[in-house]
Amino acid sequence: MKRIALAALIVTLSPLSFAAELPFTGFLEAGIASRIVGDDNADDEIVMQEGRFQLDFLNDGDYGTLQFKGDFVSDGVTEESRLELRELSIIMTPHEQIDLKVGRQTLTWGTGDLLFLNDLFPKDWQSFFIGRDDEYLKKPSDALRASWFGDTWNVDLAWTPTFTPDGFVDGERLSYWGGSGKAGPKSGYTIDPVEVDKTIDNGELAGRVYANLGGNEVAFYGYRGFYGQPLGYDAGENNLYHPELVSYGASVRSALFGGVVNIEVARYQSEDDSSGDNPMVPNSEVRGLVAFSREILPEQTLGVQFYIEHMDDWDSSAEDAGGFDRGEDRVWWTLRYRGMFMQQNLILSLFTFYSPTDDDGYARPKVTYKISDKLQYTIGGNIFFGEEDNSFFGQLEDNTNIYARLRYSY
Amino acid sequence: MALRLKGTMMKTIKILGVLLLASMVGFTSAMAMDVDEIVNRANLASYYGGDDGKARAKMVIKNDKGDERTREFTILRLDKEDGGDQFFYLYFHKPGDVAKTVFMVHKKVGGDDDRWLYLPALDLVKRIAASDKRTSFVGSNFFYEDVSGRQVDDDTHTLLEETGDAYILMNVPKDPDSVEFSRYKLWIDKKTFLPVKAEYEDKQGKLYRVVEALKFGEFDGVPTVTESRVKDLVSGGETVLTFSDISYGVGLDESLFTERYLRKPPRKYIRR
Repeated sequence: MKRIALAALIVTLSPLSFAAELPFTGFLEAGIASRIVGDDNADDEIVMQEGRFQLDFLNDGDYGTLQFKGDFVSDGVTEESRLELRELSIIMTPHEQIDLKVGRQTLTWGTGDLLFLNDLFPKDWQSFFIGRDDEYLKKPSDALRASWFGDTWNVDLAWTPTFTPDGFVDGERLSYWGGSGKAGPKSGYTIDPVEVDKTIDNGELAGRVYANLGGNEVAFYGYRGFYGQPLGYDAGENNLYHPELVSYGASVRSALFGGVVNIEVARYQSEDDSSGDNPMVPNSEVRGLVAFSREILPEQTLGVQFYIEHMDDWDSSAEDAGGFDRGEDRVWWTLRYRGMFMQQNLILSLFTFYSPTDDDGYARPKVTYKISDKLQYTIGGNIFFGEEDNSFFGQLEDNTNIYARLRYSY
Repeated sequence: MALRLKGTMMKTIKILGVLLLASMVGFTSAMAMDVDEIVNRANLASYYGGDDGKARAKMVIKNDKGDERTREFTILRLDKEDGGDQFFYLYFHKPGDVAKTVFMVHKKVGGDDDRWLYLPALDLVKRIAASDKRTSFVGSNFFYEDVSGRQVDDDTHTLLEETGDAYILMNVPKDPDSVEFSRYKLWIDKKTFLPVKAEYEDKQGKLYRVVEALKFGEFDGVPTVTESRVKDLVSGGETVLTFSDISYGVGLDESLFTERYLRKPPRKYIRR
């Protein structure tokens, strides 16, 4: 019903487009997503049903730039309405070589396409899996970003005083592997991990040093904080928690072979398991990525990525872990196809993850059609598959869904 | 001043050379030399006005059914040298779904351009693979090449005719498989060297695409096309491109064309 109401609202608002220019932009959107295979762990096949009203405001002044972006969401799944503050920030330039950005903001760096090695800023995986716009994969941080720009090399520091966890599959909408079986909305068993104390030394600090050397983009990264997902188990609390994480890495990105090549590596040091023998805490790892993308036909691009996670001490932890034995190396291949047709008004895309080591994968087909500059619809799917019930994507198999969204931009 | 003097001297030497050559091999090569001069001057007039430039662009795209779409962006350009490498920065104002997106190009003559797209909602600086230059620019009937310029060396040029106010050139691609046309006829204004009209023939020799300059102006001493139109005779679609707030010699710095200003569009040049 809500959906119909929103569609009606879109229609009634349409004449607004002829009105004077508004001092802000944004959109109205109605979306719905439903499982297409039955899930014994859920009462309802609907994983997303919501109306969104986004308002985006920007003000440039001598002081700098103020940006605000907020979503008013009417959520049919949780049966609540909420305000999501996506951005409230000010960018200032106190010195010609320095920019400061303070407030709620989205932070991104690194070279992977939907694979994040050195980008340890918060993400909302649940949003990603239930058919919301890609924009919502990135969760904003309340942070201070300080950037220094040199002649060749530049430095970025992002400090988030209180740790922002990822949005993860917690059993509220999507089912997952709960250790001994599938857990989901029906079982009432949702993940509510131990929160990281909001103290000053529990903040997150991320840094990047980068340069564009004649078209070759080189970067070095560092991070000190916590695993975004509650990957550790605290026996004392009998609950999951976010273990401490220190990471550093590097990347390079260049135009090569008529396309773009990027290589990225990252070292993850699991501070709560420095000896690598605690099966309840993630092992330290090395992660690597090699990627290539290029245009294969006019307005059609193909991208391939090879990604590997190598555990430091696989033997000692995997034997006792009880869960899915992912092996010493987890490998993912990803493939992205994107094609634009009908004067770029029709966009077809497919992104697939496939893991030969986990024997599972995930496909994201999507069709977007722009009916006009203001109105567009998107239909797509989140297709999970896997040999085992407890592998990374395999556990999500019963959540396979299709979705549709209608957006009116003003 | 010194440069101009040098240019004149070069021209004199060139002309002397041409005369010498012509006396040996006849007038055809003298003609060819002239054509190159025309083409080079036209290239500079269309794509290298001033050392840098800034304008607000509006594209109105119409299909055969009359459906209209609009694109609005601010474009900043800086030349490394005349006829050579360039930097482009495009900030999108409209439509809403691409507002605040920035497209940046480091154009390299004789090589693949470096291109980036900044998507503000994700704070993502995306590197873009080189693309076919004869595909639609932001969904319009203009091609990338119409906007940033086609390499002069990609075609062989012949002067067909000289009228009172225009040179009429025929241009044939050296690599016919790389483009969708078999040849195009180009009208170049004798005074400003701005292209006035281009007619493209398909592989069957049928006229299918016309690019026309509709309005002209002069800004900071630089003659400029302020309105142009592409007609696609096959699809029946057309796009009109209008420039406003045009200025040259703005004083843009190379540092503007870096990641820093993708995240922080320069307020001095971009009115939001």
